[in-house]
Amino acid sequence: MDQNNSLPPYAQGLASPQGAMTPGIPIFSPMMPYGTGLTPQPVQSTSSLSILEEQQRQQQQQQQQQQQQQQQQQQQQAAQQSTSQQATQGTSGQTPQLFHSQTLTTAPLPGTTPLYPSPMTPMTPITPATPASESSGIVPQLQNIVSTVNLGCKLDLKTIALRARNAEYNPKRFAAVIMRIREPRTTALIFSSGKMVCTGAKSEEQSRLAARKYARVVQKLGFPAKFLDFKIQNMVGSCDVKFPIRLEGLVLTHQQFSSYEPELFPGLIYRMIKPRIVLLIFVSGKVVLTGAKVRAEIYEAFENIYPILKGFRKTT
Amino acid sequence: MLWVTTTFIIEVGVAVRLDVLPRVTCPNHPDAILVEDYRAGDMICPECGLVVGDRVIDVGSEWRTFSNDKATKDPSRVGDSQNPLLSDGDLTTMIGKGTGAASFDEFGNSKYQNRRTMSSSDRAMMNAFKEITTMADRINLPRNIVDRTNNLFKQVYEQKSLKGRANDAIASACLYIACRQEGVPRTFKEICAVSRISKKEIGRCFKLILKALETSVDLITTGDFMSRFCSNLGLPKQVQMAATHIARKAVELDLVPGRSPISVAAAAIYMASQASAEKRTQKEIGDIAGVADVTIRQSYRLIYPRAPDLFPADFKFDTPVDKLPQL
Repeated sequence: MDQNNSLPPYAQGLASPQGAMTPGIPIFSPMMPYGTGLTPQPVQSTSSLSILEEQQRQQQQQQQQQQQQQQQQQQQQAAQQSTSQQATQGTSGQTPQLFHSQTLTTAPLPGTTPLYPSPMTPMTPITPATPASESSGIVPQLQNIVSTVNLGCKLDLKTIALRARNAEYNPKRFAAVIMRIREPRTTALIFSSGKMVCTGAKSEEQSRLAARKYARVVQKLGFPAKFLDFKIQNMVGSCDVKFPIRLEGLVLTHQQFSSYEPELFPGLIYRMIKPRIVLLIFVSGKVVLTGAKVRAEIYEAFENIYPILKGFRKTT
Repeated sequence: MLWVTTTFIIEVGVAVRLDVLPRVTCPNHPDAILVEDYRAGDMICPECGLVVGDRVIDVGSEWRTFSNDKATKDPSRVGDSQNPLLSDGDLTTMIGKGTGAASFDEFGNSKYQNRRTMSSSDRAMMNAFKEITTMADRINLPRNIVDRTNNLFKQVYEQKSLKGRANDAIASACLYIACRQEGVPRTFKEICAVSRISKKEIGRCFKLILKALETSVDLITTGDFMSRFCSNLGLPKQVQMAATHIARKAVELDLVPGRSPISVAAAAIYMASQASAEKRTQKEIGDIAGVADVTIRQSYRLIYPRAPDLFPADFKFDTPVDKLPQL
């Protein structure tokens, strides 16, 4: 594979900063191997994954680089010269709110060292991709994000329930106020210790925004609310592989990961180990992925399972 | 002076390790299994006829007792054969009720009250074994399944990974797994019917046990349940074979993707019975199989269009295929 010089012809048009905004972009974007100013990531063993998955992950990394705002530390950007192409887990945790699907910042950010290195930059050797293993081109859509935040002060749930709109509080049933807002459409459980759980958002940014709105509501009611330790606890995504799947075959070959009990649940429950994700796989071809802390885990899990599912496609 | 004799029956259990006992073998044929001749108490080598053991003690039972014996006294002096393999070292002493006059003290209470707590560490396990036997008895499960269940329970209990769960739930789940492993699966609903635990909890424990013991079970198929459901409905063998064939073909032709095998089996039984002289309603089949009759209706609608292909070639139709009920 060409290490340093011309990009393969099919990817010429893609060698641009905005070439990769969503992970579903056509995979052959070898701008990645050229190390577009990637932060040295905590090394995760990627030897088992295909190069195209690496490239996809790097596309996501590049996204982060481009969309970074000023709060990104300068030191990290200075260290971006290395062309390690490792997993994004480190930075994606920092900037979950940057996965906007709409906004694109294409201009290079001030203070960044040149993102497109000279051909002299050393490259880690990449295992050549088998041409048959295309990435699926299907992107799992996020359906639900569960996050927690600490408001940092004790709350009186009764006053909150009485004065706030759209709040329900039934201490005999559950010891928290259940509050809902319409935009983003979310539900929050607010506990008397000051901790809050926010569910129902469709993206990380929306979840953070919604949590801030709830915190503002509580603040307006007179409590000294802060916004401490916002953390996304769970992300749920779903997608459709568009072909029926032979679940019996899948459970036979992947016995140690799968559990398929038609009496208990019509779908196969696949507990993937490498990103620790649980997938619910149905006969119709619909797949639900859950248990992720960051978006990249969902994508990675789906890219892992897609070739396996293709192998168990129903032929009739 | 009156001598009053009182008899207490004291049972002593002794655990014996069979593998370290000195084993007699024929000197010429150390591998030959010796044949016991009980009349003379000999152990004879079958290869060369050498009498190896002489006047060995007969360990068979002392008395033969029959169930129709009216004698309330069991003359056997050694008691029940305990289960040292499962009950983990059965070295206990139990004191039975006294029979004579001197066994009672001045208030009429018996001296030597109660059988002392026996094997308190395994009391829960013994309770569970009793529960398992009761459950298995209700659905007439053979002894080998009960033994397998007991073994599974013992393994799970010793592992302690499911310690917080109700023992009855674990016992029910072990029973379910044992039936599956023996190749005669019972539906969760059938196990539910003989247990006080909910299907949800049995399902949870089932998955936990499979994980704890690191085993897996085969997928259920429609044919596993045919003989039981059909005989409970009183259907003749022809109908049962037809229903088995219909269900198998329906799954092969993928007419019922994603449907539980029980529902497909129920729908197949419905179709076969409606085509024969022995018709059964959906409600009856639903009662026996544990599926709702709307579920049977749904699966039946899926297999109805291909009905002529699903019946076996040699089936004698009482109602022709085109007259089958269409729901």
